[in-house]
Amino acid sequence: MTDARGDRTANERPEVLWLRRLLGGVGIYIVVLLMLFVGTLVSPDFLTSENLLNIVRPVTLLGIVAVGVMFITHGGHYVDLSIPAIMALSGMVAVSTLGLGIVGSVVCGLGAGLLVGLTNGLLIGYLRLNPIIWTLAMNFMLDGLLRWSTGGNQVYPDYTTGAGDAFVNLSRCEMAGVPGITLLLVVLAAVAHLLARRTCFGDQLQLTGSAYDVAATSGVSVRRVILLSFLISSFTTALAGILLASLSKQGTFTNGQGYDFNAVTAVVIGGVALTGGVGTVLGVVGGVLLIGLLGNIMTLAGWGSFDQMIAKGVLFVIVVGGMAYAARRGGRDDE
Amino acid sequence: MPDDPILQLRQVSKRYPGTLAVDRVDLTVRRGEVHAVMGENGAGKSTLMKILAGSFADYTGIIEVDGRAARISSPAQAKTHGIEMIYQELSLAGPLSVAENVLAGRLPRRGFFLDRRTMVAEGRRYLEQVGLDTHPMQPVEMLSQHEAQLVEIAKALSNDPAVLVMDEPTSALSRAEVKRLFAIIARLKQRGVTIIYISHHLSEVYQIADRITVMRDGRKIATVIPADVDPPTLVEMMIGRPATQAQIERKREPGRKRFRVRNFTRAGFFHDIRFFVRAGEILGIGGLAGAGRTELARGLSGVDPVDSGDMIFDGKYVDPASMRACMRQGIAYLTEDRKRQGLALRLSALTNTANAVHAKRGHLLARRQRKELFSCQAAQLQLHPAQPQRQAAQFSGGNQQKVLLGKWLATAPEVLILDEPTRGVDVGAKKVIHEKVVQLADQGKCVLLISSDLPELAALADRVMIMRKGRFTREMSKVELSENAILLAANADREANPHD
Repeated sequence: MTDARGDRTANERPEVLWLRRLLGGVGIYIVVLLMLFVGTLVSPDFLTSENLLNIVRPVTLLGIVAVGVMFITHGGHYVDLSIPAIMALSGMVAVSTLGLGIVGSVVCGLGAGLLVGLTNGLLIGYLRLNPIIWTLAMNFMLDGLLRWSTGGNQVYPDYTTGAGDAFVNLSRCEMAGVPGITLLLVVLAAVAHLLARRTCFGDQLQLTGSAYDVAATSGVSVRRVILLSFLISSFTTALAGILLASLSKQGTFTNGQGYDFNAVTAVVIGGVALTGGVGTVLGVVGGVLLIGLLGNIMTLAGWGSFDQMIAKGVLFVIVVGGMAYAARRGGRDDE
Repeated sequence: MPDDPILQLRQVSKRYPGTLAVDRVDLTVRRGEVHAVMGENGAGKSTLMKILAGSFADYTGIIEVDGRAARISSPAQAKTHGIEMIYQELSLAGPLSVAENVLAGRLPRRGFFLDRRTMVAEGRRYLEQVGLDTHPMQPVEMLSQHEAQLVEIAKALSNDPAVLVMDEPTSALSRAEVKRLFAIIARLKQRGVTIIYISHHLSEVYQIADRITVMRDGRKIATVIPADVDPPTLVEMMIGRPATQAQIERKREPGRKRFRVRNFTRAGFFHDIRFFVRAGEILGIGGLAGAGRTELARGLSGVDPVDSGDMIFDGKYVDPASMRACMRQGIAYLTEDRKRQGLALRLSALTNTANAVHAKRGHLLARRQRKELFSCQAAQLQLHPAQPQRQAAQFSGGNQQKVLLGKWLATAPEVLILDEPTRGVDVGAKKVIHEKVVQLADQGKCVLLISSDLPELAALADRVMIMRKGRFTREMSKVELSENAILLAANADREANPHD
């Protein structure tokens, strides 16, 4: 636009756009490449295939969670803070129901997670409860419930049974040297991309996230759309929870801790606006990769896990602050 | 007759970016009179009063209070000159008590703590002045609208004003409450308080005003004494011309009754609404803000629930419980609130255009179809610039409205409910939209046109229903349809015919 600067209503100023461009869409991969370069400076072993897998492996489950949570953020409802509880619940349910066979156990685990998602979605979509407050309360209640029902103990799969053995191997199978869960993430991301971009649901979710009132007066069943977004999120979260239980060979209420914050960070770094309506699956996957890279480089550089938590927190504040600043400078059309 | 000016305005102007909202106004307000200020929306009367209340520091011209030049550039300065304003929207804090609201900013204290006893006594004193006998410690949110308004007046009186400005004080009041308000105004007048009273309602103005100033397009037209002018003349002064504006030529006569609504009711909003629209007919719905027109439109389009009533289109019942069902049967509702309910401002014009179509069909259009849809609407509505990827927020108001209209035209509607389709829109866009509306009617579609723009109703509508307090009170045919008549019908309320 040649007249964009002169136009009174042109509200994106060039000097604040760089951050959003950098973070939105494909821009995140430029940062990923940059970090790969930094990595080679930190350690000569960085670009070995061994280490590249090390980057991806710890964030694969995070990726599975983030791809689902993105739908909630996209629909303008920020995040599901009951992620840790859903993960712990689905893992524990799956381990406890191994007697039904491996398929039965996975189905039960997913079902338990979906039930939480259904509750969240109904209360937030239909009763319009505040998503932050409600899911925080949900997390608290579920956490208590899990501790109470198990007396504070872990549950372990029984390796001697076929189902127990299969359960532990769920997260460990490989195809041509690539971990199965990484392939699963790729498949989920592809499905999520199609869902967000190519379906009526994705379109209506974007409209709901951008402008709730507009969606409601354009014939969109906003409540159903919001319910669906929470169901999707709880599904991928439960999946990650089951895989985490498989990976750690135990179901425990501490499984899933930290995934809530990391998922939001990945979503936000990936260029999804916390205010809803803006962002892509590709960007979220980039955000997940970036978190993995950062962790890997910091580990190679000899940082401890506490230092890494601080660094991630600071990164989050910078990105969210920067986006909020850009949005304010850009100015909503408030005439 | 005391001709003792308490306020004297000389050549007062106020410029907003792009428009001169108040244009060199001279105004004299006499001590102790009730001075009404009238005019259409956007005539500049509210801006002028805000200048008096100190809302703007950048007005030009001279204001004299009690014969001395005064610069009023903040609300605090206005208060020191004895000018108090009561705004249309009440500015009370709901959870706080009546007394705390009335005495806000100067609560009595004893040492470090609030002096509750003095607060109650002081509060009661001011409440008595407005004839309100609630307890001063009652929270404001427990009061009725009318009582809250009296609290607002008490709050203004507690500063002992010489001039009290009231902006549309009766817009939310019932008939009996208006009577009580007038009694209070009369009492204040006896006490020597000067009152400036802004109103749309002719009948009210004739009841209480000593003099009337009419404004139009930012200018003062005249100050008159009610006994000297009859209502039609006053309306003509407000609107600026006696006759209707040029009609847009219609190609066909309205045909059979296509859309019927019976006993449509949503308790508290609209009652027993009954009408029909013929094929190719534009039915206007006039009335004042708050009459229930938008609520009716939302009920008819399935956005809001209704309690009872039937909608029949082309012989088939339409279910008002589902907006989707309404859309599928050809009903489209163009909201009055473009920026909040109409367009997703952060999304592109293309996406906005396709939204309603997608919701109606339940599946997405292919990318190419979407582009075609957009270019088709952009071309017929002369959207400028016709860029599909441009953010909705970056279009001018008129072009945003075109995107919004295009969004609904894209659903191929048969019944169009247009709620203030040209509000806040420039002349060029208005013309395009008007022509489009007439063209749609000529194609045999049913159009419901809700508008506060009287010339617009007069120019476009075949018939006009006047709505007041949730009911249709009068119907006017094309022949009796002069814009003056509409305004009079909407105004001639509250039993008393003011002029007799």
